[in-house]
Amino acid sequence: MSLNAATPEFVRTLTNQIGEGVISPPTPAYLEEPRHRYTGIGGCLARPRNTGEVAAIVRLCNDNKVGIVPYGGGTGLVSGQIMEHGPAPVILSLERMDAIRDVDAADNILIAEAGAILANIQLAAADANRLFPLSLASEGSCRIGGNLSTNAGGVNVLRYGNARDLCLGVEAVLPDGSILSGLERLRKNNTGYDLRHLLIGAEGTLGIITAAALKLSPRPVEVETAFATVPNPQAALDLLNHLRDDLGDLISAFELIDLNGILFMEETGVDHTYPLAEKSKWQVLVECGGGVDARLKARLEHALHAAAERELILDAVIAQSEGQRKSLWQIREHIPIGNRKIGSVVSHDISVPVSRVPAFIEAARPLIEAIDPDLRINSFGHLGDGNLHYNIFPPMGRNRGDYDNAAKEVKKTIHDLVAQFGGSFSAEHGVGRAKVGDLQTYGDPTKLAAMRAIKAALDPNGIMNPGAVV
Amino acid sequence: MKALVPVKRVIDYNVKARVKADGSGVDLANIKMSMNPFDEIAVEEAIRLKEAGKIEEIVAVSIGVKQAQETLRTALAMGADRAILIVAADDVHQDLEPLAVAKLLKAVVDSEAPDIVIAGKQAIDNDMNATGQMLAALLGWPQATYASELLVEDGSATVTREVDGGLQTISVQLPAIVTVDLRLNEPRYASLPNIMKAKKKPLEEKTAADFGVDISPRLEIVTTTEPPTRSAGVRVGSVNDLVEKLKNEAGVV
Repeated sequence: MSLNAATPEFVRTLTNQIGEGVISPPTPAYLEEPRHRYTGIGGCLARPRNTGEVAAIVRLCNDNKVGIVPYGGGTGLVSGQIMEHGPAPVILSLERMDAIRDVDAADNILIAEAGAILANIQLAAADANRLFPLSLASEGSCRIGGNLSTNAGGVNVLRYGNARDLCLGVEAVLPDGSILSGLERLRKNNTGYDLRHLLIGAEGTLGIITAAALKLSPRPVEVETAFATVPNPQAALDLLNHLRDDLGDLISAFELIDLNGILFMEETGVDHTYPLAEKSKWQVLVECGGGVDARLKARLEHALHAAAERELILDAVIAQSEGQRKSLWQIREHIPIGNRKIGSVVSHDISVPVSRVPAFIEAARPLIEAIDPDLRINSFGHLGDGNLHYNIFPPMGRNRGDYDNAAKEVKKTIHDLVAQFGGSFSAEHGVGRAKVGDLQTYGDPTKLAAMRAIKAALDPNGIMNPGAVV
Repeated sequence: MKALVPVKRVIDYNVKARVKADGSGVDLANIKMSMNPFDEIAVEEAIRLKEAGKIEEIVAVSIGVKQAQETLRTALAMGADRAILIVAADDVHQDLEPLAVAKLLKAVVDSEAPDIVIAGKQAIDNDMNATGQMLAALLGWPQATYASELLVEDGSATVTREVDGGLQTISVQLPAIVTVDLRLNEPRYASLPNIMKAKKKPLEEKTAADFGVDISPRLEIVTTTEPPTRSAGVRVGSVNDLVEKLKNEAGVV
């Protein structure tokens, strides 16, 4: 099974059949990714305006065995949207299909096309006095189709779940060009294989999601946010359990922040304001939300005070205004910017059982030091989900290029340790092309065989996102 | 020396204000309320003066609904020593006019005898920018408005003011009213230990009637409307297109 390139001749055929204004040469923006690690190839860029056009393009590609790389906001970190080698594919961007077709406050459902930008979906939900809780650093540019295809996580998974948990149905174009009309508004629907769950997290290898029915939640009337320094990761975890004992699932976010993340922002001049007088090696950002008369502020104050008496926290601030709340979140959200400016030797998006996060951090450090004691570790992320962005950086004044030899060893060491801890080498970023080898190494053989069988059944020509995932 | 700092509970400046369906005002039901940001700057400045040894006591005062005690607790958590709440409204939608507020503040000044009143230059909800000036007039005190720098020494305050043409520096004899502008300082966060301490600081509750002040409105709000929505932009193909549109469509060049 070999694919054909999207040759000038094929592109002409595509242009003739699909019509003017949809097919164009790919501009460099579609061939780059946020970390500038991979550079893609593409025979043309297709920007369809509706599901029918998506289907027509896919059908033509399938008939001619030409690969398709589906493209959302281009914010993916594992090269799922960038194909570096092979016959030049058609890059199919959903950017023009960005309509929000419906917001239904009674059904608590929002229907969005795949190209809708996540932040716009959040705003549309808020306008209807509802919450669409999926929230991540790239929400201003990532698109919901990509969020679903990668089963994105983010900061509110603790309370609301990841993208998979927030989707009730999808409309999609399958690899043969047929349209799956599955925009169900049902909370319960046990009628055979749930293809929605097959397409979510498939990273564009089984079809192209063109629209989705998304689940809305009540909008929290009161949101309280605190930033606390903690003695160590175990105390942070104990703090999470302490707060959940008190506030239950009103806790929506619980983020661990490594001092190095803050020092990197200082080193590279990234805008942020540290709210406390003294920094600690570890800090956490906590957010909770509730309805009318939840008296959340007083409850959070008391719970944090009790935590301080148990010596789970060293010091803390609670945002007194939305401005302060935004400023506290800015610290967490700007950490990846500092990371990018320093340039990591290697980044990991790993998860382990929540209770084992402190032990993992404890066990990983000496292993990294043994490889090179000068390497700097910034391990931060969604502690409440057991998800760490465990990233390794060169010492100050050195370049990541100097550590190319160490990078492979570091990555293998961390992923081996993750496996020992019963964890995952890709918690929320996906497999893309960057982690295909890891999936081969660490994936369950039976699961891999079943995945290949599904892929072969739905996409016998292998046109959908070639080289990604399987 | 003693400083009096009036603080107002207003719609949070990061929240999108929505007009009530009947146009009678902004809908404040279940909306995040916070301390007026300019008042936050005033509290911060008073705390800095106290930390510098210029003043000994900071009294925060708020006038409005009972829930304004949360705003006062924030001021206490930041570092004010005690607080006075004058309950003068029972509905969050009832906004007291500057003259009524100034009269009540005058009564508080008469009983507290502060050496300086540090206030926000205006509240972000009604943008009146009048209370500080009216209070100065009622008391016959000097006023220094729009402070971007404040120096207190030897019974006087030197205030740098942001005016249209640049900066103006004036000196006023204390006691005086100083209203503060955005660039004076950056307010601190309320730390957990200070939030807990603030719960035990004195917060005295009074009513407008205790002061015998007539707070009935003198102004009538005729209607409140949303700002016009911005129409969508257009992409132009070239500089020539842009110039053509600016000339013939927008008529600005």
